[in-house]
Amino acid sequence: MIVFLQSLISGVLIGGVYALIGIGLTIIFGVMRVINFAHGEILMLGMYLTWNLFTRLGIDPYVSVLICIPVMFVFGGLLQKLFINRMLGALPQNQILLTIGLGLIMSNTMMLIYTSDYQILTTSYSSSSFSLGGISISEPLAISFLITAAITAVLYWFLMKTDTGQAIRATAQDREAAQLMGINVQWMSILAFGMGSALAATAGALISPTYYIFPQVGGTFTLKAFVITVLGGMGSIVGATLGGIIIGVAESMSAVYISSGWKDVVVYVLFLLVLLFKPSGLMGKSRM
Amino acid sequence: MRAILNRLNSDRGFSPVAISLWIVVLAGLAIFPKFVESPYALHIMILLFLSTIMGESWNILGGYTGQYSVGHAAYFGVGAYTTMMLMQYKQIPPWIGMWVGVAVVVVVALVIGSICFRLRGPYFVLASIAVAEVMRLCAMNLKELTNGAEGILATEIPPFTIGGTVVTDFLSKVPFYYIGLGFAVVTILVTWLVQHSKLGYYFQAIREDQDAAHSLGINLSFHKNVALVLSAIFTSLAGSFYAIYIGFIDPPTVLALDISVQIVLICIIGGIGTIYGPVVGSLVLVPLSEALRSNLIAQAIFKAGLANEESGVGVFLKENLAHAHALIYGILVVVVIMFMPDGVLGFFRKLFAARNRGNA
Repeated sequence: MIVFLQSLISGVLIGGVYALIGIGLTIIFGVMRVINFAHGEILMLGMYLTWNLFTRLGIDPYVSVLICIPVMFVFGGLLQKLFINRMLGALPQNQILLTIGLGLIMSNTMMLIYTSDYQILTTSYSSSSFSLGGISISEPLAISFLITAAITAVLYWFLMKTDTGQAIRATAQDREAAQLMGINVQWMSILAFGMGSALAATAGALISPTYYIFPQVGGTFTLKAFVITVLGGMGSIVGATLGGIIIGVAESMSAVYISSGWKDVVVYVLFLLVLLFKPSGLMGKSRM
Repeated sequence: MRAILNRLNSDRGFSPVAISLWIVVLAGLAIFPKFVESPYALHIMILLFLSTIMGESWNILGGYTGQYSVGHAAYFGVGAYTTMMLMQYKQIPPWIGMWVGVAVVVVVALVIGSICFRLRGPYFVLASIAVAEVMRLCAMNLKELTNGAEGILATEIPPFTIGGTVVTDFLSKVPFYYIGLGFAVVTILVTWLVQHSKLGYYFQAIREDQDAAHSLGINLSFHKNVALVLSAIFTSLAGSFYAIYIGFIDPPTVLALDISVQIVLICIIGGIGTIYGPVVGSLVLVPLSEALRSNLIAQAIFKAGLANEESGVGVFLKENLAHAHALIYGILVVVVIMFMPDGVLGFFRKLFAARNRGNA
């Protein structure tokens, strides 16, 4: 029972970070109908940024979120302006290939700079944990979860209550109608891609104390981000949050009850089953 | 005579020019190893054939049927692993193993097809990637079967014998050259058939508009599966060929997402859905990645005086450019998708069309 509860809780905690990755992807998809295959690579850039800030300037990884968010927001906005924007009307396949190409450029540029060696970011609390009613909880995971929850709350407030947030949602609902209502759709797209990138990079910063950092780490996360968003329903933020937690729990459960080598297989099989039996996801409308 | 010429010139036949070109090129390629003995030149040619086979076979599914699979590493890996495992564990020679691989890949493709073909557009792409990733993780985890992350090393390739006489011993690169050439020619012919046969017209109808094709009575899932099986068979043969030629396989070299992307890339760069697109794509990609890998490009930069070999930049180039081929792939994808979405072939076709209009 203890083992079950323990893996459930650590699944929920890591799931919170996954949710952040998924929300980023889903905002981009919602506003532009573009699937960003470089999402994991943007997360990887966030990890390296955090690692550099930590090893060179001694900035704590959780504090570096404050630097990651604006830097990667600008980076994402530029990506949208320079590349994605010109491909908005193109075939979905070509958009996917374009973002795969951008991802390759990012991961291989980082490999040229930092080689493909694994980097480890060890903080004083990297492996420490505290006990809650007999269940031990990893300290970095718990902090990450709290930060994630705070960011998600701010994001909801932004999207629901502010004018800009509403404009973004309107663009996601119907691009043309939004344009007719006087919304600057171009600017909303840049904002959405910036936000998506900032969220992915934040997730990267938050997991950097508990993960190996290497240039190819993004691939797994890109795929995971899709599993999360498809599970929740493409374009749904609530769905992405739910999807993130489900995937986190599925992973940690299968690592405990099957083996850690098979946990990704469990996630992908889950993904394929969702695609087959409920392609619209848990919260989304069908777009098949 | 006129009728025959008309027949040859018609859409379904070869033009005399095309036939003569084919004969000249094939004859040239057939005698190439007699004159060029450099193993490196042969190696490049073998890689060109391999890349052409991979590109043409993806083209059948992606180019002509419009199903953008980004999971073709699965079929490549099945061919490579089946052949290698049979050879290393059961001493079954590769020219038998590769056909066993084909049999296995047909089953695998039908299973993958029945899952993925219910999905469309980006969802199909995602599912194809997920399935290939599952295969890669299985190869990593089923250690007793695949030797896991350590991979399988071929200790020796049994010679090819017919009735006790050794036909070829696989000791030099020459037999690989001819086998590669043979498969490349066959895949090009199959692609030609796909473009010009009734089956191929069904494929292209599905590519253009699946719903319209369906309403005209084309059985979508049947024809998509036929295209996938055809495509998977040749990809698997390429995998078997690669495994035996290189003599070592592990999950990252035959089952990774990179392989799938590379296969798609061969077609995008040359021109998707054209017979010679993958050939052109291979002619661009293979020499480029080989030049990077063998540091030829770094040497050229030094010779041109663009950088000093001893300087910091020079040392950096020498040490790192060899690993940069994936970076160059990325840049190529972005440039091609943004500026020549019809590939190099389409780009030149447009260029010539514009020039002809200018002359007229």
